[in-house]
Amino acid sequence: MTATPTPAAAATAPAVEAVGLQKHFGGLRAVDGIDLALSPGRIYGLLGPNGSGKTTLIRLLSGLARATGGEARILGTKMPSRTALASIGYMPQAEAIYPDLSVGENLGFFARLEGHADKAAIDRVLDLVELRDRKGTPALELSGGMRRRLSLACTLVHEPKVLFLDEPTVGVDPALRVQFWTHFRRLAADGTTILVASHVMDEADRCDELVFVRHGKVIGRGTGAELRARAGTDNLEAAFLILSGLDPQGNPLPQPTPAEPMGGGGPMPGGGRPGAIL
Amino acid sequence: MSPSRILAIARRIAQGFRRDERTLGLMFVVPLVVTALLGWVLNDTKDTVVDVVYVNPGGEIGDRILTALRTAAADPDNDLRLVDPVSTEAEAVAIVRAGTADIGIVVPSDLVAQILAGTRPTFTIISEGTDPAAEAGRFGTLQSALADIAGELAPPGVTPPIIPQVERKTVYLSPDASQVDVLAPIFLGFFGYFFVFLLTGVSFLRERIGGTLERLLATPVTRFEIVSGYSLGFGAFATIQVVVLTLFILNSIEVPSFEVAGQQTPAFSIGLGVDSAGSPFLAFAIALLLSLGAVNLGIFLSTFARTELQIIQFIPLVIVPQALLSGILWPIERLPDVLQVVAHLLPLTYAVEGLREVMLKGADLSSTVVQTDLAVLAGIALFFVVLASATIKREVA
Repeated sequence: MTATPTPAAAATAPAVEAVGLQKHFGGLRAVDGIDLALSPGRIYGLLGPNGSGKTTLIRLLSGLARATGGEARILGTKMPSRTALASIGYMPQAEAIYPDLSVGENLGFFARLEGHADKAAIDRVLDLVELRDRKGTPALELSGGMRRRLSLACTLVHEPKVLFLDEPTVGVDPALRVQFWTHFRRLAADGTTILVASHVMDEADRCDELVFVRHGKVIGRGTGAELRARAGTDNLEAAFLILSGLDPQGNPLPQPTPAEPMGGGGPMPGGGRPGAIL
Repeated sequence: MSPSRILAIARRIAQGFRRDERTLGLMFVVPLVVTALLGWVLNDTKDTVVDVVYVNPGGEIGDRILTALRTAAADPDNDLRLVDPVSTEAEAVAIVRAGTADIGIVVPSDLVAQILAGTRPTFTIISEGTDPAAEAGRFGTLQSALADIAGELAPPGVTPPIIPQVERKTVYLSPDASQVDVLAPIFLGFFGYFFVFLLTGVSFLRERIGGTLERLLATPVTRFEIVSGYSLGFGAFATIQVVVLTLFILNSIEVPSFEVAGQQTPAFSIGLGVDSAGSPFLAFAIALLLSLGAVNLGIFLSTFARTELQIIQFIPLVIVPQALLSGILWPIERLPDVLQVVAHLLPLTYAVEGLREVMLKGADLSSTVVQTDLAVLAGIALFFVVLASATIKREVA
């Protein structure tokens, strides 16, 4: 079921599927009935404020959490499934690397767990994140941006067919961010399905398609242009607010910052619920 | 110097404490609990009955002493019990070795002649010699009984009554074995347990808070594989630790005095040079099983900590009661009943018992005590493996 689909099937069979997916933590509906169908070879942006359910959705899709209701399928396999994990790459929000291991040792470790420990694969991802000359450096001694790159490399080392990236470019400088996206694009061209969670709207336009989530629900989906047109604005951030049922003119919303576009204020019930997730 | 800055720092510490109920609890509750436990153990230490085997030299005097001992044993205040008397010292040693009696008393056959000559007769007291704390208690019990007997034995007209001298003989170790000899097995068990627990706890906590556990769980690895890998990895280091410690305890290298820059250095020795009666490999196996339990206890308890400081806070809960109750400081049979039950739930209890059996008494795998200890330690290790696996949450596998 993880075999590469035939070109005809690829056009129809989604690589990532969610049907009525729900995750409740007590009374909190972190993911509240989400339907998704992500096609192979495309990059999807999962956008929403902190606490909107992005991370929980990714954890459900990658089998790290069990859904309260509905189901998730990866390459046709119902999650959670251990066999499907081999074709998934998951980059958590945290750096999730071993500071006392060197760059090469970190990669070697995760590659072995994935059953993919060939030197060529490790050197390939090292080139990709431009850390080849740091192979012997302890992760502890890397700069913040380098550690982020190493974290991405650990995610990619087993050449997964489906990539879940939870805010992958936080702390990455603009030049390198461009390179990351160039690489994501190349992976997508090779048939990898990528879901990037972000609250940075300026990254959204690099995605083929966007999914706006708020309070655990999908409030809009489509290309950036489609969403802007539907909201009647040329600003993606404003489009998000309008699709959230807010009036950017009427409410004294705070100056949106990339980190917290929805932060505080306004008459919206429940607010952004920061910290509600995880 | 600005008082307000000093106050600001002090205040910041108080504010941090306010949100950390666990640390607050630790500072005020745990010392009370540990002190209460200590008080309980010390106040309610039980007087255990001492089993005595008497070596009867025969003759009238021998029988008189036996009668006196029986009278002493009949008095419930004395906590003394007589097992059937034997006629040779060798038989008494065998009985103490078998554990049927705690103490053997050998009375010289020329006792009367010695008393009449005015010399103090010498009684020989035989004990195991492996647990000074327990034996000190037994000698106390015996001493009061002996005082009674001495009073009865004194022939009329002889004043002051003759107090016999006591010569100690031990079944295992030498009678003047140092505290180090007796404690060596405990070092082996205790350090293995303590450091392995601390290191695994901190290490696994880092996996949890650093996100690497999350990443691990997004690979096809199973929980059992993670726990086994941890056990193997830390087990390897525990092995090295136990080997180094065993070598240090059992060997002693004399470093002679030598001259440095015109000065004579004092001679000294490296290592304790303790005589281990039994197989170092068996002792090693016990210590390793104990460490295996400690690895998985560390993984399990890391679930309940959010910071490395909180792992350290488990020490008074995990380590201190074991140090108090596992038979290191007081023999378990002298603990209050409730605490005896607790003691038998603690892994260190079995490790200390097993290590003592092997290293001090030379027990091997045919000993049921050693078999039981190994089985219980393996059971405890397995229990913690299951518990640790259960705390690694993933919906897969």
